[in-house]
Amino acid sequence: MSDELKLIAAAKAGSVDAFTDLVRAYRPRLLRFLLTRSPSHADAEDVLQDTLIAAFRYLHSYDPRWRFSTWLYRIAIRNAARLRSPGMLEIGDLRDEENDPLQQCIADSETDNLWVSAREVLNDEVYAAMWLRYAEDMSVNDISQALDRSASWTKVNLMRGRRVLETHMNGDAGQSEAYG
Amino acid sequence: MDKLARQLQEDAQRIEVSISDELDRRIDASLRAVTPELESPRPGPAARPPLFWWASTITGAAAAIAVIALVNWRAPDPPDLPPASVAAAIPSIDLKVEAAVLTGPLQEELDRLQSDLKKAEEKVRRDIGL
Repeated sequence: MSDELKLIAAAKAGSVDAFTDLVRAYRPRLLRFLLTRSPSHADAEDVLQDTLIAAFRYLHSYDPRWRFSTWLYRIAIRNAARLRSPGMLEIGDLRDEENDPLQQCIADSETDNLWVSAREVLNDEVYAAMWLRYAEDMSVNDISQALDRSASWTKVNLMRGRRVLETHMNGDAGQSEAYG
Repeated sequence: MDKLARQLQEDAQRIEVSISDELDRRIDASLRAVTPELESPRPGPAARPPLFWWASTITGAAAAIAVIALVNWRAPDPPDLPPASVAAAIPSIDLKVEAAVLTGPLQEELDRLQSDLKKAEEKVRRDIGL
């Protein structure tokens, strides 16, 4: 049995310490992802906290056939979606340019960050799929599981997301399609 | 890894994040306040009073009787008829006509028609193997 499975078993039995050890490595990764989908740093931290609490509470429902990170991301994506009110279509609608947590985290960088552009031209689900694929190096199946979508949907939208970003990277912003 | 994938990976790493001590403490405190749900087995049937058992038995029996009565209340089925032969299924056209009222050409036409009909009937019989 791997270390992760041992920690999962102990956490299922109610050990907070085991669960803390289990998610320690995932916390910064989840927070990084949530910062790109939240209107503020505080919101991203709240969603991270809610995600970890939900994961601990419902750990018995985790299916070990899937990667633990996939399951965590699935919960995080759902929790992040709750930030949106019914009138808000995309996470971009929530953004405050001055307090944008993503911009704050890359403020010292001299070059443009492609994830900022991606947020402008991709819808939330495609953005999440792209993030899980290229920032988290997840397989198509894991992404499908995390987003609760079919593998074919994931493949098609990864391809379309790439095409839109490539167009954007090539400076052909006038012809880029706001995919959604 | 192509250029776009590499750029996306590098840009993701350039998003600097850290879990602050305050957030760490907050998460830890929240987790300690949570009791994980256990995978509980399905609850078994609750013990019911004997009266409930008798009531459900009587209701079930009454429903069964009602269904049986309803099924048997239908009109009797018509008696089984012997299967109709294939030959009977072929329509026979009876062209009995009073010859006296027919003129010569009409009589010939009638003969031809009857001859054609007979041929057609024989062909059909041959085709169906009778």
